[in-house]
Amino acid sequence: MPIFVVALSWLFTERELWAHFSTVLLPNLISATMVLLIGVGLGVTLLGTLLAYLVVMVEFPGRRWLEWALFLPFAIPAYVLAFVYLGVFDYSGYVQVWMREVLGLPGFDIRTGPWAIILTFVLVFYPYVYMMVRASFKRQKINIIEAGQLLGASPLRVFFKISLPMARPAVAAGLLVTLMETLADFGVVSLFNFDTFTTAIYSAWGDFRSIEVAAQLASLLVLVAFFLIFFEKKARGQAKYYSNDVSNKKPYYVLGFVGWLISLFVFCVFMLSFAMPMLQLIIWGWASMGEEWSVKYVDLIISTSVLTTLAALITVSIATILALPSRCKRNSPWLKSLISMATLGYALPGSIMAVGLLYGINQVSAISVYFGGQSINHIIFGSIALLLFAYVSRFMAIGYSSIKASAEQIKPVFTQSARLLGASYLRLIWKIYLPMMMPGVLAGGLLVAVDVMKELPATYLLRPFGWDTLAVQVYELSAEGLFERAAIPALIMVLFGAVLMLIFQLLDQKSSKNL
Amino acid sequence: MNIKTWAPSTLALALTVSSIGIAQAKSEDSVTVYSSRKEHLIKPLFVSFTKDTGIKVMYLTGKSGALIERLKLEGKNTKADMFMTVDAGNLWYAATQGLFQAVQTQTLESNIPSHLRDPKGLWTGLSVRARTIVYSTERVNPTDLSTYENLADSKWAGRLCLRTSKKIYTKSLVASMIYHHSKNRAGDIISGWVNNLAAIPNAKDSHIMNAIVSGQCDVGLVNTYYFARLIAQNPNVPLKLFWANQDTTGVHVNVSGAGVIKYAPNTKGAIKLLEWLSSAKAQAIYASLNKEYPANQNVASDEVVSSWGLFKQDKMNLAQTGILQADAVKLMQIKGYR
Amino acid sequence: MLSVNHLSIVYQTTQVLSEFDLSLATGDIFALTGDSGSGKSSALRFIAGLDEAQSGRVILDGKQLSNNGVHNIAPELREIGMVFQDYALFPHMNIKKNIAFGIHYLSNNKQKARIEELLLMIGLEGVEKKYPHQLSGGEQQRVALARALAPSPKLLLLDEPFSSLDKSLQEQLVLQVRDILKKTNVTSILVTHDKREATIFADKVGMIENKQLTIN
Repeated sequence: MPIFVVALSWLFTERELWAHFSTVLLPNLISATMVLLIGVGLGVTLLGTLLAYLVVMVEFPGRRWLEWALFLPFAIPAYVLAFVYLGVFDYSGYVQVWMREVLGLPGFDIRTGPWAIILTFVLVFYPYVYMMVRASFKRQKINIIEAGQLLGASPLRVFFKISLPMARPAVAAGLLVTLMETLADFGVVSLFNFDTFTTAIYSAWGDFRSIEVAAQLASLLVLVAFFLIFFEKKARGQAKYYSNDVSNKKPYYVLGFVGWLISLFVFCVFMLSFAMPMLQLIIWGWASMGEEWSVKYVDLIISTSVLTTLAALITVSIATILALPSRCKRNSPWLKSLISMATLGYALPGSIMAVGLLYGINQVSAISVYFGGQSINHIIFGSIALLLFAYVSRFMAIGYSSIKASAEQIKPVFTQSARLLGASYLRLIWKIYLPMMMPGVLAGGLLVAVDVMKELPATYLLRPFGWDTLAVQVYELSAEGLFERAAIPALIMVLFGAVLMLIFQLLDQKSSKNL
Repeated sequence: MNIKTWAPSTLALALTVSSIGIAQAKSEDSVTVYSSRKEHLIKPLFVSFTKDTGIKVMYLTGKSGALIERLKLEGKNTKADMFMTVDAGNLWYAATQGLFQAVQTQTLESNIPSHLRDPKGLWTGLSVRARTIVYSTERVNPTDLSTYENLADSKWAGRLCLRTSKKIYTKSLVASMIYHHSKNRAGDIISGWVNNLAAIPNAKDSHIMNAIVSGQCDVGLVNTYYFARLIAQNPNVPLKLFWANQDTTGVHVNVSGAGVIKYAPNTKGAIKLLEWLSSAKAQAIYASLNKEYPANQNVASDEVVSSWGLFKQDKMNLAQTGILQADAVKLMQIKGYR
Repeated sequence: MLSVNHLSIVYQTTQVLSEFDLSLATGDIFALTGDSGSGKSSALRFIAGLDEAQSGRVILDGKQLSNNGVHNIAPELREIGMVFQDYALFPHMNIKKNIAFGIHYLSNNKQKARIEELLLMIGLEGVEKKYPHQLSGGEQQRVALARALAPSPKLLLLDEPFSSLDKSLQEQLVLQVRDILKKTNVTSILVTHDKREATIFADKVGMIENKQLTIN
């Protein structure tokens, strides 16, 4: 629905403002956004795939715990990480002060050029690619790799000719999610003062009070998302990779010096993307504990958990229904386009989507009043249902892709044998599909939960009275420059996220043992 | 808040009931406030108000623009009695959207000077915030400083730090430039500022001050309460405030304030709250919570704030910041002020 | 018992099977051989109701299941059992639950009795609690057979059930399965590319050559 509202906006145009936007802002913004997308895309693909390959295919010192530690950065909201990086690495941060005073190097503004913000995005979003590609590598039959080795292929050749092509769908899926998140981001880009397409949307709305132009710009964003989804479908290609074999045997053992080098590299990624930011948050949080901690945190934690749980449950239920393998061979094209629509919400900035929702409801009310009915605004606005609806539309993509991946693991032969044993469609779903999809369903639910917990813009606009979340608290404090105090809700949030990621990891291990 | 404590046990119920719950809690003895002023800055006031009057205050914080949209859409069915925000531009915009009702009472008129109130009484300023020059005591001779306009002079090349043009404080300051001079002249000043920048405009005032301390730049523009916060943490910081434009237009000031919603379910309560907020007792808390200047002239500033001395304020009618805001943003976008 | 008439199958644009006719009496064990791509598996899948065909009619026990290449009755209502090449045991269920899948409508006691009976027949007593991946290939294929037989189907289809097993195991299992099928007197069709296996296993062997079926 938000997308529909956004598309409708083209019926109303404001020529003068458009002219200003298209001549002054858009040329730069489009190229900046492209640079950002390409940089982040390349970065997460390289880093995510490389890390996944190392932990799955290579045995090196410390691999076992690094394998799950690499999931943890997913628990840190992007804006919190950006915040810490600026604090630590910018001109006045510890690192540069040390470089100037001890090494005598000149200082520099890390926000110049796109590389620092690209790096930040890569470090927050690589877990998406890592997560999906790792699962895909794990399902690659070890004998295919061994066959490659026996044919005399070097490890690099095996990687490029066998492992990587087979993981292509997973890389594409992870990349898609990352790019959509990057497009929708407002927090990180505003901290770095890096102008993207989203900046223009906010400017149209906030500065020029033009919901119409904002919606028109947003619809261009949706177009880009369409494009990305199309490419992801292409990248998936026709190949189907059915394999339930999971092997914990590693094809490559690298001990000694090179092994330690690999460990060091992976450890550095973990330090930079999780341990170091956590340490900074803990230092800040410690200093402000007495001032900030109070019973209201019980409320914050309760509302965050309730919203998170409900949103994850609803999203996962809908995504599961959408992802169920159809009993016949083909999905109807109608269903396919419905699914694409349902997952598009991910590319819309949260507050644009939220405002779109409010307008949509207002239109419904207007129609209802026109036909002599009552306005529903006061019932829907500020109700938890609206907020949940926003979460579900926004995070459907993430739940769906995880669940779909597990649905694709179900070989058609299971459907066929179940049917020949007299199973009705319902029984097929209940006894065969759902249990076989369960790892994906749980994983999708946890990912959605972590994302909902971190979500700020839609929550901030749509939440009912008394439903402040931890993310809202982080924002309110940091917007006023009270970073030390903001560290406390941020830490609680990361802690919850980390616990969810650990559960995810445990489930993942369990499911790989069973199949 | 009360809604939430039982909600977890009845998750499904909460879906439909939460909005009704609000409606039930609503009555003569409670006031509902939508605020873009952050929770930690308003909660202590509301607690004190409830203690004084027995009237409960429910509040919902949010971003100004989003809350205004929400109020517009809620229209007659809104539960909000009062909208509280920062920046006169936002108050002005909310007023033009017909969100407020005129409130003119003797209490308000005697407590708050007229230039800080809307002429029709649609909104009332509750605190004054000044945006002025901050400089490094190590590298800048204060006699070189004079006006905002002067910071566009090439002698500050590579020495200036500014806040992003996306922040409302910057927009209002530029609006005042357009008002005092002309669009062309304001455009030249902005170009001069942009040429003098030592770094990409910062996202936060605190980043500007950090940048000056660490030597990235020498001068900057900040709201004074951020400076107050910094010296509270680090009294020896080598920074000082300079009151800008004392021989010309005066220091650019802005307000935070509030208005009573046109369709407020509890207009009486809202007016009572507004009057209470303008009282000497509330003003002392209100201003000192965030080290701003009280709008009520009978109330003394916080000790730290008074130590910076008195200054001449820009007397431009604050509604201008709203009227000229779109022009200001366009100008900054054209001149490449990020 | 079973009659298949006028079955024609087209892959994309090439006709692979034309006017295939077959009739079997109760308890017949029939084997269908032919080169790969000859359409023997497709014929089997048509009978099962899984794939459609250009033309063809299937009548089982007096009921018309398919006509003109289209299915009148869905696979789950045909009372036909099938064993697949790669076993297709449900990986998330233990052996007991796998076998019970098709007889869930029976009471618990009856299910239990039936499962014990079948496991005894296939010579795998006591594996109820194990999961498919804990069994060898030959064991899994016997469980798959037990699962297909559990609901007492009117017709059993076997699609290359022995071809992913070791040579040594194959021969032994072919005979064992044949014995079981004889004992239960279920009408069966085996599809295999191995002519020797076909002759050992079946009473009647059919061969698809040049789109035509010849029965010797």
